[in-house]
Amino acid sequence: MNLYQLKRVLLQTLLLPILAAVLVAGALAWQLLNAQNAVTVIEQIDANIATTTLITALVLDENTALRSFQITSNEIFLQPYDLARKPLADNVAHLQRGLEGQADALEKLTGFREVHTRWVLTTAEPLIAAVASGQDTRNSGLNLRAKAQADNMQRLLGSIVQAQQERRVAAIGKWEMELRRTVVGLIGSVLVGGLIFGVFARSRLHVVNQAFQTTLASVRRHAQATYDSEQRVRTILVSLVDAVVVCDLSGSIALMNPAAEHLSGWKEADAMKQPFERVFPLGAAEGAAAPPSPRDVLEKEAYALLLGESLVLSRPDGAALLVDRSGARLQEGSGTTTGIVLVLHDVTQQRRTQAALLASEKLATAGRLAATIAHEIHNPLDSVSNLLYLIQTGDSAEENAEFIALARTELDRATQISRSLLGMYRESRTAVALDVTDLLESVLLLLQRRFIQGNVKLDKQFVTPAMVTGFPVELRQVFTNLLANAADAAPPGTTVTLATVVVPGSAVHDGGAHHHRPGVLVTIQDQGAGVAPAIQAQLFEPFFSTKGEAGTGLGLWVSKGIVLRHEGTIDLRSSCALENQGTTVSVFLPFTEFAPAESEMSGAPSEIILPQHVRTGPDHAA
Amino acid sequence: MPGNHLVLCVDDEHVGLQVRRLLLERSGYKVITAHDGASGLHLFREEPVEAVVLDYAMPGMHGGEIAAQMRAEKPFVPILLLSAYVDLPTEVTRVVDIYMTKGEGAPALLDKLRSLFGY
Repeated sequence: MNLYQLKRVLLQTLLLPILAAVLVAGALAWQLLNAQNAVTVIEQIDANIATTTLITALVLDENTALRSFQITSNEIFLQPYDLARKPLADNVAHLQRGLEGQADALEKLTGFREVHTRWVLTTAEPLIAAVASGQDTRNSGLNLRAKAQADNMQRLLGSIVQAQQERRVAAIGKWEMELRRTVVGLIGSVLVGGLIFGVFARSRLHVVNQAFQTTLASVRRHAQATYDSEQRVRTILVSLVDAVVVCDLSGSIALMNPAAEHLSGWKEADAMKQPFERVFPLGAAEGAAAPPSPRDVLEKEAYALLLGESLVLSRPDGAALLVDRSGARLQEGSGTTTGIVLVLHDVTQQRRTQAALLASEKLATAGRLAATIAHEIHNPLDSVSNLLYLIQTGDSAEENAEFIALARTELDRATQISRSLLGMYRESRTAVALDVTDLLESVLLLLQRRFIQGNVKLDKQFVTPAMVTGFPVELRQVFTNLLANAADAAPPGTTVTLATVVVPGSAVHDGGAHHHRPGVLVTIQDQGAGVAPAIQAQLFEPFFSTKGEAGTGLGLWVSKGIVLRHEGTIDLRSSCALENQGTTVSVFLPFTEFAPAESEMSGAPSEIILPQHVRTGPDHAA
Repeated sequence: MPGNHLVLCVDDEHVGLQVRRLLLERSGYKVITAHDGASGLHLFREEPVEAVVLDYAMPGMHGGEIAAQMRAEKPFVPILLLSAYVDLPTEVTRVVDIYMTKGEGAPALLDKLRSLFGY
């Protein structure tokens, strides 16, 4: 029900009693009028009676005066008779007026007048004249006539009075009846009206009540829905494993979920209104710039949101956790910023796991290489051993000389491989200047067997020198991984093309990326079955492997990490179409500004890993 | 004493193969050689080979597969598997009569070969 409808109902409901009141007032007014009329009539009647009584008295006066004069013959006694004349006429006229509308009474009055006039003319005046002339007036005829006339007049007047009295009674009776009728009518109509009004009002009230109930129910429902929704959001917040923190415009904490309490070691109640930095003392990971505070984000328009940053959180209990932090501005519909919401994700365990997996990947790589190395060393040594035996048991100096020469060659081969192996596992913590081509050659030395076994030709298109600054051990890991993949993917009889190119700055290359920086681009191309587009995206993710259980799946992910650490890029393009099947992996290594600390072959190795006793070296972040 | 037993040597390593052949010939065997499984099997079928000295790691078919095929065709010819790898799976070593690693030395090889002929 809207406001207009409500107004109408109220109006209707109020109007009825007003109407009733008006009606009652009307009835009362009418009754008053009635009463007024009745009173007027009665007054008139009373006046008539009075007038008639007066006339009667005057007539009596006249008569008495006449009689007295008749008896005494003294003119003084005639005075009332004379005096009565005018008043009589006046009163009769007055009465005539007063009797207006009463035909009967008027007739009687007229009759009276006639009689009186006749009396005056035929009785009174003659009598006076007779008395005045000294005659004897005891004439019974005159007296009889006088009496008859007088009686007549009395009778007429009396009947007028009576009529008036009757009228009076009638008028009163009528008024009383009207009054009664009105009262009854009023009571009746009040009752009926009240009933009607009651019913009507009840129905109206009912309508209003219904509408009110409906509105109330609707409001309740909305309130419940809002509450439920709020509860749901609250439950979500509470259930989240990640810490959610909302800060107001001043960078102080406005809300924290239980995960945030757990992460920071603070209770929400204590943390309210505290500056974010106090509750979550976050520092950057080694070497990186200090992270921006929520206030920085809010104040500087440049930050619309914080992208995932990896930071170190110091807890009150002394623990240090690795967290990823991301955040966004809280904005109202109008676009004004009301705060900032931050999500903190504890990655400590994840990082540890990743580090362990990286170590095991190294182990696996080392294991795989160990097998190859064993092979590469055992073969020449076996020949050397056989040749020594031949020399021992032989007798030709010439032959022996040949054997010795051959043995030396084989030994050199073994030494070369062994040295290369040592160089590979010597870790350096600082970047050195290295020739990418040399590095690839040394990797190929160990992988050549794989290519031969798979009957895959290797096409080397090297440019040398191709100097970059980097970490040789790790780069070897990358290229071993990529070349091994190429060797595995290439069908027998096909060719794997390995090329290095020095890139001047701002050149666009077909490796799929625009290299605006100068550096070295290495491309490894095979003619294998290719990688489906759907899988390409996942290739560089950890644990993803197309080799089933044979691969740990870490290779490409680790390689990517290493390349990124060198501020380079790695990407893969592949086609499964039969016309140009194959995969090309491009690795770009820029000429970076690492300060070269040591050359490759100088100094004692910090860590040596032998095939039989494979130990993990100290971890360094890949 | 080994009479002129015909021994088939298969190895993709050229230098190693030649040296081994020399060694065996000096020890009194007749030797024919092959560089891979296909030519090795061909020789195995065509020639009256009395023993096989077989390298494990080779392009195409590896030693285990070659040995299995040899077994299927002439099960009574003894096979000695040579490997530069230290551990080979049992399904491979089961097929052959003797399995040894390279680098044990010439006397060891000659000894084991002799034992194949029952000496």
